[in-house]
Amino acid sequence: MSKQIKFDSYREMPIRSMTLDNMLWNKTGSWRNVKPVYDNKVSPCILGCPAGENIQHYIQLVIDKKYKEAWETIIESNPMPAVTGRVCSHPCMGKCTRGDYDEAVNINAIERTLGDMGIDNPGWMRESEKTKKQKVAVIGSGPAGLSAAFYLARAGYSVTLYETEKALGGVLRWGIPEYRLPNCVLDGVIESILNSGPISVKTETVVGKEIKLKELEDNFDAIFIGIGLMESRKLGISNEDCEGVESGLEYLKRVNSGDNLDSSKKTVVIGGGNTAMDVARSALRKGSDVTVVYRRTQAEMPAIASEIEEAEKEGVNFRFLAAPKEIVAEGGKLSKVLFQEMELGEPDESGRRRPVPLEGKTFTMEVGRLFTAIGERADLDGFGPEVDTEWDLIKVNGEFGETNKKNIFAGGDIVTGAASVVEAVAAGRKAAEKIIRVFIGEADPPKQEETEFGIENINVDYFTKSNRTLNPRISVEEAKKGFEEILTGFDEQLLQKEVDRCFSCGVCNYCDNCWVYCPDTAIVRKDDRYEIDYDYCKGCLVCVEECPRSALSIEEEGK
Amino acid sequence: MKKVVMGNHAVSYGVRASEVKVISAYPVTPQTHIVELLSELVANGEIDAKFIKVESEHSAMAACVGASAAGSRTFTATSSQGLLLMTEMLHWAVGARLPIVLTNVNRAIGPPWSIWTDQNDSLSMRDVGWIQIYCESNQETQDAIPQAFKIAEEINLPVMLVLDAFFLSHTYEIVDLLETEQVRDFLPPYNPEIKLDTNDPHSFGNLSGPDYYMELRYMIEEAMNDARGVIKRVGKEFGEHFGRYYDMVVPYRCDDADLILVTSGTVASTTRAVIDEMRDEGIKIGALKIRVLRPFPFKEVSDILCSTKKVAVLDRNISFGNHGVFFQEVKSALYGKTDIPIIGYILGLGGRDVTPKVIREVADKAIKDKNPEPYINWIGVKR
Repeated sequence: MSKQIKFDSYREMPIRSMTLDNMLWNKTGSWRNVKPVYDNKVSPCILGCPAGENIQHYIQLVIDKKYKEAWETIIESNPMPAVTGRVCSHPCMGKCTRGDYDEAVNINAIERTLGDMGIDNPGWMRESEKTKKQKVAVIGSGPAGLSAAFYLARAGYSVTLYETEKALGGVLRWGIPEYRLPNCVLDGVIESILNSGPISVKTETVVGKEIKLKELEDNFDAIFIGIGLMESRKLGISNEDCEGVESGLEYLKRVNSGDNLDSSKKTVVIGGGNTAMDVARSALRKGSDVTVVYRRTQAEMPAIASEIEEAEKEGVNFRFLAAPKEIVAEGGKLSKVLFQEMELGEPDESGRRRPVPLEGKTFTMEVGRLFTAIGERADLDGFGPEVDTEWDLIKVNGEFGETNKKNIFAGGDIVTGAASVVEAVAAGRKAAEKIIRVFIGEADPPKQEETEFGIENINVDYFTKSNRTLNPRISVEEAKKGFEEILTGFDEQLLQKEVDRCFSCGVCNYCDNCWVYCPDTAIVRKDDRYEIDYDYCKGCLVCVEECPRSALSIEEEGK
Repeated sequence: MKKVVMGNHAVSYGVRASEVKVISAYPVTPQTHIVELLSELVANGEIDAKFIKVESEHSAMAACVGASAAGSRTFTATSSQGLLLMTEMLHWAVGARLPIVLTNVNRAIGPPWSIWTDQNDSLSMRDVGWIQIYCESNQETQDAIPQAFKIAEEINLPVMLVLDAFFLSHTYEIVDLLETEQVRDFLPPYNPEIKLDTNDPHSFGNLSGPDYYMELRYMIEEAMNDARGVIKRVGKEFGEHFGRYYDMVVPYRCDDADLILVTSGTVASTTRAVIDEMRDEGIKIGALKIRVLRPFPFKEVSDILCSTKKVAVLDRNISFGNHGVFFQEVKSALYGKTDIPIIGYILGLGGRDVTPKVIREVADKAIKDKNPEPYINWIGVKR
């Protein structure tokens, strides 16, 4: 192949410029010194999704109206798209290349629409594989537990799902109001998961009380713990136990249970996360005048931005840079709250600026009810000391949720602390896959390589600017009246409009540009791909240049 | 077999006798008869060759380049604008060292549009690296073809044969036609050592950096240099086979001449008639026809001209800004060898007739003219 040839005299040279060796290794002769190769990358949205949903792929399937295949693609990584399509913080959209061009593709709404199609078409769920002999206990039926149960059962492993409450769903059922996630949707998702394979359910069973961890260890080949964080953190100030002070999580649970709640009082919610927003907006719907008090500013609030925006629109008041200092009770009942004013100091370990009390500056508010939503913690009774813990969470090694005990795995908030639904789903799946690999004695897959991909990899000349297609919704006025779901999914027309905006970053979607441009007709169309006929490719790289999405790469010839 | 044929057809018969394998050409006045007859001869089986029709002269030469590189004996013909359109490919044929033979019928370049003769088309290709041979008669246009292939295939350079539009291309003369069987003894089949071969594919014409480009150019010049001997030898061998001898130059009554007129093409024969007439008058005058322009016959030209007292060069061309091309060439051949006057005359452009009267006028003028004034002597310009 390529090697340097040196002549000391013209007498050693051929009379014309020519190769001395024959060129069978490169039939375009010396023309081609670099060659194009089809080289699909991993789209940034996929890398952005904690569950690793193959977003680019299912969007392209939707374009082809292959809705079932699109849904199946999601299900490979996430068994509850109807849930995440509603409540996910969608980090995928933060990574969407289109965001650097006009607006990120509304992946969340596409996922939700497909998820709803899955509920409407129960027949899409394929039957589980033949039942295997191993049995797994899954403790907790929140997103992590449901996810773990689904992937185990689908592979044919018998799962027993233990749940403390009388209904399944965990935080999805008790922690998220119906205007964001209707119970009927959650029921549909849970039903489809339970129908996916051999899962038996034991509700109102607390591990550590009704059944001991030791018994589970004796009766099951593996255990997955996904119990989440169901205990509200306390404020740690006086009179916290008086009537009128309640944990926001308890309140949400009562709201979601349909309890008839007294709502006429002035309500204050302490906290800045999603739970605080859910509590505030739920109380608002029950007729309260609601103020959210947060010790930092809006910029530091951990809640999803759209949730804060909706809360504001609906009429929730915000009081920033203040924290409760003292609860005043009269006759065992809440009457007033003394607040300490704060300012922002140096950034803390989370990168957010730390709230610092402003010396001598306080104010008092008359409060009918006070809800705390400053975070949740785990109830680890029944798991220690067999399972190693750290900071009141279960300690795992690596990304597959392995605990110190060989057959015990854990995932979700109980491992990470308060995190997102999609992270819990991912943790449940990864643990389930690891458990299966342990059962069949298979090695872990290699880590996915992260490729850098940005707007500079898109040939934007091929795209026209367009706005993101928004979910249809009911008005704020309508929304405030009750718990009707605010957003709806796409109909087929909106769905097709939005999927058409996908750049298909780094992945060939058979747009034919390379085939059209190749001056040597060296690109051959196959049924599901292109091939380059290197006998004719001169290495001009027009195909690489004109690929709108960098699905082709360049390789040096002869190396 | 002797036959009365036009100059163009004499070319075609020369090609027939040379067992050419590929012909690719585009018609252009006044060359069209050449390829017209060739296409007929290919069609009726008299020539066993592939005739490639093309859409332009550039493509014609490109096809010849490909065919020749594949090891075929290859011929084309063109004229004037057509030759100019081929330019890029003419260079290619040289750099690729391909023994293609091309007959160019000298036709003036437009605008103003013209179909009549002068030499500016072929002379504008003087420095490309093609061997250039200027023919004088119909017999020579035919005989030059097998000689050209023999020369080209020996030194791996292309050969351009040149004849005057109409005065030769359309004029009928008796030509002793060459027979293929006879020519075969003189011109063996073409079997190059290196050629395009799908079983042993090589890349040709590829990039050569500054390290070796000069060496490849040096080898072309070496081949040009070798061509001097080869042309002479081939002309002699042809004579031995067919009784008609050819050389680099053709002197006429030069031995004791005080003035020698240097000519080329059809003007040469007219000039010889004038020489005879003037000799009859007792004027010591001679003529030298330059047959091969590239490689330039320095030795032959200087040997002959150094023995005379004055040289007049008749140019049917003009190198704008520096007189006529043959004039430049003769001066460079004589540089440092003699201090006799060398005077240049421009005549016959765009097909204006160069009659014996015109040549006599030049000769009479040359006897009186001094070197170097006036520098350019235009003959017959309406001033």
